[in-house]
Amino acid sequence: MNDRNFHAIHITRDKCIGCVRCMSACPTRAIRVEDGKARIIDQLCIDCAECLRVCPHDAVHSHTTSFAALEAFEYKVAIPSTVIYGQFGPTVVPNEILSALRRVGFDEVYDLSSICELNCAATEEYLAEHPRPRPYITATCPVVVRIIQRRYPSLCGQILPIEPPREIAAKILRTILPKSLGIPPEKIGIIHITPCPAKIVSINSPATLAKSYLDGAISIRDIFPQILKALRKSDEDAMMRHLFPETLFSGIGMGWPLSGGETRGLKSHRAVAVSGIRDTMRVLDEVEGGLLQDIDLLECTVCPDGCVGGPLGVENRFLAKSRILELVAAAGEHAVVDQKDVSRLYHKNFLSFDHPVTPTEPRPLDSDPARAIRKAKRREKITAGLPMKDCGICGAPDCRTLADDIVRGFARLEDCPFVKGKKEKR
Amino acid sequence: MPAAESAYRREFPVKGGDFAKAGAAACAIKELLKDLGLDAATVRRAAIVAYESEMNVIMYAREARMDLTVTPREVRIVVDDRGPGIADVELALTEGYSTATAEMRELGFGAGMGLPNIKRNADVFAIDSEVGRGTRLDIIIRTNGHVTP
Repeated sequence: MNDRNFHAIHITRDKCIGCVRCMSACPTRAIRVEDGKARIIDQLCIDCAECLRVCPHDAVHSHTTSFAALEAFEYKVAIPSTVIYGQFGPTVVPNEILSALRRVGFDEVYDLSSICELNCAATEEYLAEHPRPRPYITATCPVVVRIIQRRYPSLCGQILPIEPPREIAAKILRTILPKSLGIPPEKIGIIHITPCPAKIVSINSPATLAKSYLDGAISIRDIFPQILKALRKSDEDAMMRHLFPETLFSGIGMGWPLSGGETRGLKSHRAVAVSGIRDTMRVLDEVEGGLLQDIDLLECTVCPDGCVGGPLGVENRFLAKSRILELVAAAGEHAVVDQKDVSRLYHKNFLSFDHPVTPTEPRPLDSDPARAIRKAKRREKITAGLPMKDCGICGAPDCRTLADDIVRGFARLEDCPFVKGKKEKR
Repeated sequence: MPAAESAYRREFPVKGGDFAKAGAAACAIKELLKDLGLDAATVRRAAIVAYESEMNVIMYAREARMDLTVTPREVRIVVDDRGPGIADVELALTEGYSTATAEMRELGFGAGMGLPNIKRNADVFAIDSEVGRGTRLDIIIRTNGHVTP
């Protein structure tokens, strides 16, 4: 499937009471309330999940993969985001979590921290070979890629064309596992475990690959109870508690899900990290205006504090962050990835995008330029007559958006209760 | 310029020293140009011109009016400020030359790329400055034709 309008976020109509919280929270003004229910406009939605965060009625959901769907695979592999290490408090070590996931039903579980380090090393190599343009923007956050395609089309060429760790790890496994296990590739399921609702978008409709190397994304929230149960069981089994298959954790990669973590390992390039959807948009506006050219790499993650602030995690992000920082410190600064290996994979283009990111269709007021100009003028006139209270009663998030909807033919001036009231008085 | 009714016009006031609103006019201009269906490259060039000239006003002038005129063929941005003016225009157009204070530099400005960057992105560039009165920039960016959805 490669439907550009595939979305992870959807509204469960039965639960929606038509309040305007999601609509006001939406940074791309993609939500309207019609007939008492919220509706998402596909062409505008970037799957940032701000609506999911604010909905008080649990009416916004995400299409993550269900655990039951894994039964379709003969061999199941999990590659959890390193956010998972911050979800269980200070006494549970990463190896225990990986081991618990095996007990939950995965045949194999792989740590991503070393692949994160590998990605960082490859990024450094790419930046050294490409002195322009500046800044490059990291492609880890699928929402950032979507927002650039939709709102900052001229920045598509500034997305650093190296696949994020989850795809690199899945690609490596997909290359190796069928041969080593003797199982046909389609019977091996490679699943990402994540606090992020948007990963499923990058899996089902990848912006940079012909096909994702992952088969699905399970939310940490959904699988958390089972991991907890498995952890308790392993507790009873005291003999096994510290006898895990050997995993080499990378301190450089472990901090990847914290804002600034993707670029912390860069040695000879200047990076800036931005987190949160509104700050990300503000900075992208500046980049589109030609600023920040003295920065080599811009790391943008739309969740607050980075992926650790993803809405489908369990532990609050401050505690999770503090736990991950402990693990980063414990793992140390030494590299676990061989630079020569990275170089080899990088120069074989094993780590690169299949194709560059391309802009989505623009959404001008009219396809005819002269008519678009007339509509823009009309929009201004309409806006001037609106109360500018941004109350949302009309079903649009603010007065300007209502005026925009009116000239595009999606709304009527009478939708505004103030305008309607005035007319009725007359 | 073609007949008045086929052009889109809007003014944006900019206040000197108003760093809190820095970039607001440029952003509004950019959004408008996208709504009008201009191609991404033209929007980008206009955004850079608008951003740099808005920052120049905020950093050096007392106030200014940015006038935007859009026709299907071109984007015109005129920035008319009341401010100190530029003593040596030719020097100000040299890359790397800047009169920014240490404070401005700390904010990431003052690399001396402002005016040269504006000129580089303009198809027609005119500057008129008088010391003690102000500076007027007149920039035209021709569109590469329209993106039809």
